[in-house]
Amino acid sequence: MKRRTLVGIAACAVMAMTAPLMAADWKPDGSLTMQIGFGAGGSTDTMGRVLAKVMEDQTGWNVIAENKTGGGGVAMFTGIAKMPPRGTVIGLGVNMPILVNLVRRGDELPFDLESFDYLGTISKAELALVAAADAPFDDLPGMIAHAKENANMPVAFGAPPQKLLMDVAARTTGAEFNMVTTEGGAESMKLVLGGQVLAAFSSGEHFPHAEAGTMKVIAAGNAQRLSYAPDAGTFVEAGVNAYVDPYFYLATTKGTDAEALAAISGAIENALASPEVIEIVNNAIKNDPLNLGPDGTKAMMVDGLANVGVLFAK
Amino acid sequence: MVELSTILAGFGDAFSLINLAYVLLGVVIGQFVGAVPGIGPVMAMAIAVPFTFALDPLPAIAFLIGVNKGGLVGGAVPAVLMNTPGTPDAAATALDGYPLAKSGKPLKATKMALFSSVTGDTFSDIVLITVSAPMAILALKMGPVEILALMIFAFSVLAGLVGNSLVKGIIAAALGLLFATIGSDPENYTPRLIFGMWDLYDGLPLASVAIGMLAISEILRRLSETGGKVEAAIDLIDTGNPDDRRVTWDEYWSCRYVMLRGAVTGTILGALPGIGSTAAAFMSYAFTKAASDDPQSFGKGNIKGIAAAESANSAVVGANLIPLLTLGIPGSVGAALIISAFMIHGLQPGPLLFENQGRLVYGLFGAMIMANFINLWVGQLGLRFWVKVVTAPISVIFSSAILMCIVGVSMATSGLFGVAVMLVFAGLGYLMASFGYSLVIFIIAFFLGPRLEISVAQSLALTNGDLSQILRYPVAVALLVMSVVAVAYLLWRNQAIQRLEQKDDANV
Amino acid sequence: MTMPSDRLSGAVLFIFGLAMYFAIIPTFVEQAEGGNIAPNTLPNILSWMIAIGGAFLVLKPTPHQTQDLRYFARALMHGAILCAGIYAMTWFGFLYVAPVLALVIMVVIGERRMHWLALGAIGMPALIWIFITQILDRALP
Repeated sequence: MKRRTLVGIAACAVMAMTAPLMAADWKPDGSLTMQIGFGAGGSTDTMGRVLAKVMEDQTGWNVIAENKTGGGGVAMFTGIAKMPPRGTVIGLGVNMPILVNLVRRGDELPFDLESFDYLGTISKAELALVAAADAPFDDLPGMIAHAKENANMPVAFGAPPQKLLMDVAARTTGAEFNMVTTEGGAESMKLVLGGQVLAAFSSGEHFPHAEAGTMKVIAAGNAQRLSYAPDAGTFVEAGVNAYVDPYFYLATTKGTDAEALAAISGAIENALASPEVIEIVNNAIKNDPLNLGPDGTKAMMVDGLANVGVLFAK
Repeated sequence: MVELSTILAGFGDAFSLINLAYVLLGVVIGQFVGAVPGIGPVMAMAIAVPFTFALDPLPAIAFLIGVNKGGLVGGAVPAVLMNTPGTPDAAATALDGYPLAKSGKPLKATKMALFSSVTGDTFSDIVLITVSAPMAILALKMGPVEILALMIFAFSVLAGLVGNSLVKGIIAAALGLLFATIGSDPENYTPRLIFGMWDLYDGLPLASVAIGMLAISEILRRLSETGGKVEAAIDLIDTGNPDDRRVTWDEYWSCRYVMLRGAVTGTILGALPGIGSTAAAFMSYAFTKAASDDPQSFGKGNIKGIAAAESANSAVVGANLIPLLTLGIPGSVGAALIISAFMIHGLQPGPLLFENQGRLVYGLFGAMIMANFINLWVGQLGLRFWVKVVTAPISVIFSSAILMCIVGVSMATSGLFGVAVMLVFAGLGYLMASFGYSLVIFIIAFFLGPRLEISVAQSLALTNGDLSQILRYPVAVALLVMSVVAVAYLLWRNQAIQRLEQKDDANV
Repeated sequence: MTMPSDRLSGAVLFIFGLAMYFAIIPTFVEQAEGGNIAPNTLPNILSWMIAIGGAFLVLKPTPHQTQDLRYFARALMHGAILCAGIYAMTWFGFLYVAPVLALVIMVVIGERRMHWLALGAIGMPALIWIFITQILDRALP
């Protein structure tokens, strides 16, 4: 943990030095509102509030963080897409819910990827499939074999992409799962600990239980293995051709003044290099900040849409 | 097990001047914003979280706990003094609090709310401090099937609140549940009844519905009834009897069983994530009314009604920390914000927290106890202030309350869309009240609705779609039997109460 | 009121429940594959409960009497003032609309004393402004 933090600080210091100099003349007209697409108290919210506070301290702007929940950021980005581009409101969300909804019901949504100017990413989110430490399997092939022997194995999920992953797993392997919906990772962990389900998805909620030795990681839901559990294979490695790569990203209304975009993305870049933000990202998701920058973020969204389209189209 | 020296060191840390100052500040802010409709303790905590950065972990978390606890006391103030609860859990307090305040005893009513709130809170804190580990294990054993049975029990207890028409009570509950289905469905996340308004994808904003239905609709009703007469919002009648301005020890002591029942109800529901303080407050109220020798006096200013509601909803908050500190599972948004504060300071609540951070946890417990005393003391002063405020003319009170509801809801829902939803529900609430449909039942059903549907879906998944499998869950079966008994008993009581009331009317 | 109000509210609810079941839910609730409870199951059940309950009230109303129409008219007027005020806020913002809204409400209630009018229309909005923008650092609507 400590070594990782140091590496993180070093990496970010380098990034900060090479970051474009902030467009010093621009400042928001009034305050800059950071709308967070998730509820108060979650990991996105916590990281967003710290980021906003650090941006405020570093730039002297008045940066306000507020929650605007709804469909994993769909409601929040709807609002941002429809706003006049004044450079006073930015949105923080996770790409997966947006991409899944664009693939599944893009014609109903009032926005598409071109409705936004992208500002950067905070980090990549890692999705783990976890089970109780005494579960009768240690990896995904083992779990699938167990599910085939014991019909209707219960698995908890708290968001659409998690269910879609398991749907693909069930389709390709013929194993049957009873998918138990929850309100999120915390509730999923409760069901694992209580023995009501045998496995569940976690985007970090299992950390204290893994540390206490009561839970283990079965598989990584991302394209790559998890940084904190490199021994657990991915779904793809187990022959289930599906993965998710969630990023925490920031965007604002299309057509925002270039100077404002440069200033805001620069402020985000600088804040992400601060020890406070590095620490909270480490604490919240056991990962280091990773900023793809404005262009990289847009490319990530466009590629992500194509991937999600292939994997999760009906 | 944590060593005694750690416990003592923790308590020692808590009782320092700097912690005292932060807890005091938290309680004052909490009581103040809790009393302002629309803002409430959760939003106050959300705003405060980043500012706790610079503090050490203990004062930071102690401050947030202070805000949370202060908010509980503050929340009862508008409910009792103006019948305009800002949160649904305070709606139960208004049932008897407002009639008592209107009869010229606002200080007695608010003080009873304060004392029973602190009593319930202290009870659940003691449970938390002494037996949180076994409580958490019990909470884990309550799986989705048991939770579903518990929710059915909660709904059946509402039968005690339906009043004179069972059919209208059922309709109110069905309407509440129907509005709760707006948003997305719990398994496939398809948009449901949002009519193209993606703002509704996460469901109707809770603050808009609660404040529209409970506060604005009441203000509309009162405004329509003032025919050009501008009176004080509450008359302080000085009867010369000091007992009308305070709660005597006899009165407090007479509520001991009521408060104990409320505190136990609140502690149990608080230890189980997801059900919440609204259900606890109303269940406790319904139990108390059903157990009373004089059920007719409820809803007319019985202090036991206040004690039942406040002891239960306050006990939930302390008990929410049981799954939080032992398992890292937050039971409410307020608890989730406390996890945020832990995370900011590099700590993650979970099974090892007591072991690794025992001193901090016991420091936190010390701060909680301190916050309860401060709550009591600040509350005594604050209540006098609020009671004074509501002796202003209704013109000022109601116009100000409307402005505050608009600002509060727009902050809670980040925009005027939420305010528009609030107005729609104010209209609906006004109509429902005028035509004799219970708003309270609507609101409880609305708040429990999403959880109920998730529990049904979870139970179906765990029983392979065969609900008769519930027979394999003894706790669930027991709860379902209790539900049937409760409905039968409460409906029978209702009939008896109504016969009594009709007889009274005939005598008049 | 000559008619017990339950007949009226029951009829409205009966129509509402049927409209939900036959028209609104089929149009605005998507079908989904898989899952244990279909998105429309619960809304459909509730719509029927409301419709049947409404029909029951039409046939067997309770003696509940609603208030005089006069009060409905007044409540409607106050509601309209609120709607107008909030609509105005979307154009001019809270800062300009709030004092006017407060003043109109107070005058309509019948308040004529200048000091109370000043307190409600200037004092309270100012206090809210200070609290929200200066102390909490948030934006007003």
